[in-house]
Amino acid sequence: MSKIGNAIHEIHHMDLIAERDQWVNAIHPLIKFVITIVYIAVVVSFYKYDILGLAGMVLYPLAGFILADLSFKDSLKRLRIVLPLVCFIGIFNPFFDRIPVEILGIRMNAGVISMITLMMKGVFTVLASYLLIATTTIEKLCYAFRLLHVPKILVTQILLTYRYITVLLEEVNRVTQAYALRAPKQKGVHFKVWGSLTGQLLLRSMDRAGVVYESMLLRGYKGSFDYIGSKAKVRPQDIVYLLFWIAIFALCRKVPILVVVGNMVGGLFV
Amino acid sequence: MSHIHIDVQNVSFGYEKGKEILKDISFHGGENDAIGLVGANGVGKSTLLKLLVGLNTEYTGSIRVEEIPVEKDMLPQIREKIGYVFQDSDSQLFMSTAYQDIAFAPRNYGFPEEEVERRVQHALEMTGITHLKDKQIFKMSGGEKKLVSIATILSMTPDIILMDEPSIALDPRNRRNLIHILNSFDHLKIIASHDLDMILETCNRTILMADGKIICDGPTKEILTDKILLEENGLELPMCMQHPVIR
Amino acid sequence: MHMADALVAPAVAGTMYVCSAAAAAYSVKKVRLENDPKKIPVMGIMGAFVFAAQMINFTIPGTGSSGHLCGGMLLTALLGPYAGFLTMIGVLLIQCLLFADGGILALGCNIWNMAFYGCFLGALLIWKPMMKKGMSRGKIILASILGCVLTLQLGAFSVTVETLASGITALPFVTFVATMQPIHLAIGFVEGLITAAVLVFVYEARPEILFASETVKEEKARFSFKKTMVILAVAAVVIAGAMSLVASSNPDGLEWSIEKITGSTEVENEGSVYDTAEAIQETTAVLPDYAFKNSDSALGTSFSGIIGGLVVVGVCVGACYAFKFFKKKES
Repeated sequence: MSKIGNAIHEIHHMDLIAERDQWVNAIHPLIKFVITIVYIAVVVSFYKYDILGLAGMVLYPLAGFILADLSFKDSLKRLRIVLPLVCFIGIFNPFFDRIPVEILGIRMNAGVISMITLMMKGVFTVLASYLLIATTTIEKLCYAFRLLHVPKILVTQILLTYRYITVLLEEVNRVTQAYALRAPKQKGVHFKVWGSLTGQLLLRSMDRAGVVYESMLLRGYKGSFDYIGSKAKVRPQDIVYLLFWIAIFALCRKVPILVVVGNMVGGLFV
Repeated sequence: MSHIHIDVQNVSFGYEKGKEILKDISFHGGENDAIGLVGANGVGKSTLLKLLVGLNTEYTGSIRVEEIPVEKDMLPQIREKIGYVFQDSDSQLFMSTAYQDIAFAPRNYGFPEEEVERRVQHALEMTGITHLKDKQIFKMSGGEKKLVSIATILSMTPDIILMDEPSIALDPRNRRNLIHILNSFDHLKIIASHDLDMILETCNRTILMADGKIICDGPTKEILTDKILLEENGLELPMCMQHPVIR
Repeated sequence: MHMADALVAPAVAGTMYVCSAAAAAYSVKKVRLENDPKKIPVMGIMGAFVFAAQMINFTIPGTGSSGHLCGGMLLTALLGPYAGFLTMIGVLLIQCLLFADGGILALGCNIWNMAFYGCFLGALLIWKPMMKKGMSRGKIILASILGCVLTLQLGAFSVTVETLASGITALPFVTFVATMQPIHLAIGFVEGLITAAVLVFVYEARPEILFASETVKEEKARFSFKKTMVILAVAAVVIAGAMSLVASSNPDGLEWSIEKITGSTEVENEGSVYDTAEAIQETTAVLPDYAFKNSDSALGTSFSGIIGGLVVVGVCVGACYAFKFFKKKES
């Protein structure tokens, strides 16, 4: 499938799993958004050599994926965009940060550790965002943004963009396919038609915007409207869910949970 | 005379000066009229429909909807009475779910939320799509989108419905369904279409246009059976009246 | 160009969120003042257009590679700086949520690096002044290329500074900048050419939809320009202040790299290795029994960590399945 076809498929797929009738999906979007932001902030705040402390943060994505019935495989696809950049930045650490350290009897550069923690951070943060968007539809997230006092005009604009992304992706897909069929040996769009191909798409989109505007006008639009339909309330169990995770994050941040548990288990045998 | 009617008198219109798209159009539409607006591509059918809802107000002549002149200041009142179904459903439906989109107009007209809900439910029932209530627009088929488009205007309980090519891109079953829905709406409706068979089944009166002018205005069964008249104006007999040619 | 969450420290991310939010708030006010109801649908659909058009591969003549459209500059030329900026926020947010293209925490950085420079500077420093005395093909091409190059240069530089201030990379500042800037010069040039091609087409077909095609009242333009510069200056001070705070609390942040530029060139310098080693020691000393150290206990700690990891993960997975089992039974 083409890149654009993939993107359309991805949007439909994400929406499908975000709409499933499950209790994780039913948690208030604001709660899930806050947990995600806090989680990501805590993950990235770990010191660059604190590999064991950071490892404890695996708990949230692990638990979340199991509870929400999500496939790790699907989410790993999303890493393909993030990991190259993170690796590009991280790969230099072993060369520039050459303080010798010893782990499990192996001598290595401190840079290797910081590179690994950086990659772990990359993976954890992507998993956490995936967990959010795979259990929360864009409309619900936008409702959370409204509760956070993001201006109406911005939220409306985000939702309108979301509404028309699939429409325009399909249009772009048709145009590029029609182009490719008549230009079989080219990988992309030849520079002679850069302007006309994209420009025509742009003008058509502008016309479409004009029709959408007319459609709004004919139905009483006066300059602003509220896009949000379902207005969920925060339930007590949502608060419990929030406090539970915040407590776990705080614990993981303060105590190297894996080491502590390991010592306890070790103590049983010694 | 009943209160539901449209009067168009000597209307001419052009986007640029000297290039008139509509020339001296006059007709009257009454409460029980179902008018099919037919004509070849580019004769000005859509332009005429847009004038009726005031999307262009720089015309000459007079257009009155239930005695209200179609002028800038009067548009909110007029648009409360007329529902317009666009040719392209994707442009008409800009909200995320069917419910949101159907509720858009009643909310804009300031109805309380319970009334909005009642109206949406009624519109969904009239178009037989209660199961689509919370479905997202971008996941709908062309037929579903068309029905939702119609529901979006029915939620304002309009006196008059205008439609631009409603049956285009519908499969036979959806088209049949559309015809049923159109026939269940018994107020004034004007339908611009190339689907002459549909016009035949839904409209008792037909206006034939060519080159920006009304060529002929009369009972559908007379106009759409007049082979010579239709062919002179870039059309053909409806399919059901042609002898099938099977190769 | 999209920053990942892993590359920013919370303080840096927070600072950039504040700056982007300020620019967004100002834009919202401006767009509201314009009071053009048609703007909202146009912004929404143009956002979707940019999103879709950025997926088209444009072949770069003479090379095997392809370039993409620069959204910020294009939106600026169509909608003006404020509406363009808000539209870009929508595009970046959806890219980040749906495709993991840029992180949620790093969104503030991404908005600043891509949307702010492209829309505000692109419009106010380049597009508006150049188009003041009427448009032409040549001017549009030049403005597009200049705008995209400027946007990407500043964007790339900001990425460098944000990453270094976050203490993520051990890469020296100079090396980092020396890699980032030339790459993005080339990308900016290509993006500029593509954007120019599209805008020229629009100019020839429907010039009226380009921003500022009617001469804007000069006084008004100057007023908003001045105001933007003030905002920019304030933002610069806030960013610089926050960054220096981050840097001073973080021995490996900016200060470290600045030290690299100003003097100590040797990476293998005895002293610096000692300093950094001590810094590691200090942080790990807070929790004496954990993390690696160059001592006998290091082996034990790492071992505990691995055992603990297995146990914790096991318990977590078990607990989750149990929870799910009981939830199902309940319903």
